[in-house]
Parts: sequence; C-alpha cells; structure tokens
Amino acid sequence: MANTIIGSSIVIDGEISGDEDLVIQGTVKGKISLKESLFVEGSGVVEADIETQNVEIAGRVTGNIAASDRVELKTECRVVGDIRAPRILIADGASFKGNVDMDVKER
Amino acid sequence: MPAKEFASSATGSSDNTVIGPSILISGKLTGDEDLTIRGRVEGEVSLTRTLIVEPSGIVKANVSVKNAIISGVVVGNIAATESVELTQEGRMVGDIRSPRVIIVDGASFRGQIDMGDATPRAEGATPRPALVRATVRPGVSKPAMISKPAAPLPPRAVTATRVEGTRPAPPPPPAPPVLAEAGKKKVLVKKKK
Repeated sequence: MANTIIGSSIVIDGEISGDEDLVIQGTVKGKISLKESLFVEGSGVVEADIETQNVEIAGRVTGNIAASDRVELKTECRVVGDIRAPRILIADGASFKGNVDMDVKER
Repeated sequence: MPAKEFASSATGSSDNTVIGPSILISGKLTGDEDLTIRGRVEGEVSLTRTLIVEPSGIVKANVSVKNAIISGVVVGNIAATESVELTQEGRMVGDIRSPRVIIVDGASFRGQIDMGDATPRAEGATPRPALVRATVRPGVSKPAMISKPAAPLPPRAVTATRVEGTRPAPPPPPAPPVLAEAGKKKVLVKKKK
C-alpha cells in the first residue's frame, strides 16, 4: 500500500517530488516527479507533467507523461498529452489523445 | 501518544490525505479533509479540517486550518479557527493565531501567540504580545529574540494537559494592570464594545 495519498477534496498547486508511491484521488496541478509509482484514481484530476517509474491512470490527466518503466491507461481514464515509456498499456474504454513514444532507450 | 493514534487510525479510511516521508510538495495545498504530513511541505497549506504534522514531518508554510496537531517541525505562521496543539515532539518557529493553543511539556516554540480575546476571533481586541517558551528541556530552547515585555501570560496559554471533550470556559480577559496605572501618559485605547 502506498504511503502517500492525496485525498479527494485536496487541491495541490505546485510541485510534488519523492521516492515513494503516490495515490492521487484529488487534484494536482503543476509537476510530479517520483522514483516509484503514481496512481491516479477515478476521482483524481492531474494537470501536470509527470515523471515517474510507473503510472496507472484511472482518472483524468492532462500533461506529458514520462515513465522509466510503464504507463497503464485503465478503463474510464481520460488522458490528454504525450506519453513516453518503454511499456504502454491502454485498456479498452480508455480515452487518450496525444503522442506515444515507446522507443525509449533500453535500460 | 494520542495524536499519533488518531493519525494512524484515521489513515485507515480512504478519504484521508497522507504525505509520506519521502515526499516533497512545494506550492499551494488546499482541501476539505484531514491532512497528515510525514514528509515535507513548503508554501501554503489551507484546510477546513485538521492538519497533523507527524514527527517526521516538516512544514515550511503559512498554514490556515481548523485544528493543527504538531509533532514535527513547523516553520511559519499558523492560523487556526479552533485549536493548535504542540505535542511533546513538536517544534515550531512562527506565530500562532487560534482561540485555543495547547503546548505540552517538551514542545519547543518560538513566536507569538494570539488567542484573540474571551470570544473567539474578536478582531477589535488589542493583540496581546505573548512569548511562550514551554520548553523545559534545557539546552533545546534558544534565547528569545523578542525583547518586548511580554504581557503576563494567563495560565491557560500553557496547558500541560490535553483538552478533553468539554472545553473549559475561557477565563475573562486579563485586564492589563501595568498599563492601566501608567495610563495617564500612555495612550491606552480602551475600546468599549
């Protein structure tokens, strides 16, 4: 279970960085950079550039995503922005607009 | 300790925000739910509910909340509509404005406290400059910078006990006796309300 949870009524305008998993149920605007996984839950709204290892999105994300491992767009998510990651999964029902770049250098 | 228990039990529910120990947030944070900080937050925090700063938490921000429970480090001003509690592990530099302020033994604090007057948030009241250093641990507290003679602090300013469910009736506002005698020369504005 992740250590950090941004609850559904929370709005953060600024920068989040850290070395642990982050669950977003609320709203984050600005920039997110993590060394672990980011989970944007169904109620989560992110208007930020994201830099992480893994991202799982079930909510709404507007911004560019760069993941060193994997990006997963789940059913009912809405994502606008460019995605750059070696592994990208888009589930049936997901909504996405933007560029996909899986041609990231092998690690 | 009670604050910790409360925090960890509250974490169980999902509509609770926790900032983990390795997380740094810089910017503005607003919300309508309890917030537990174990990491670092810089900028501005405004909540309509309770802020809990755990022992590993560091807050460099101006904070406006309903309740604040400080077990970590806070640098900045806190305005609370209800209460501010500095626990044994709490360290704070900044000003507190809150109708109830609880500073327990072992806490370290430097700054001003404004509890308003008898009625909460009485804005017309003359601000009472009060320096509270509840620190009993020797060697931890630094000498106070404030040279202004602090008004004699009513005993409720430093309460060593956690406030129980019932709030004790606040004592009447202390009349400033020193100023009253020198009132011939000093312009003491007494507001009749």
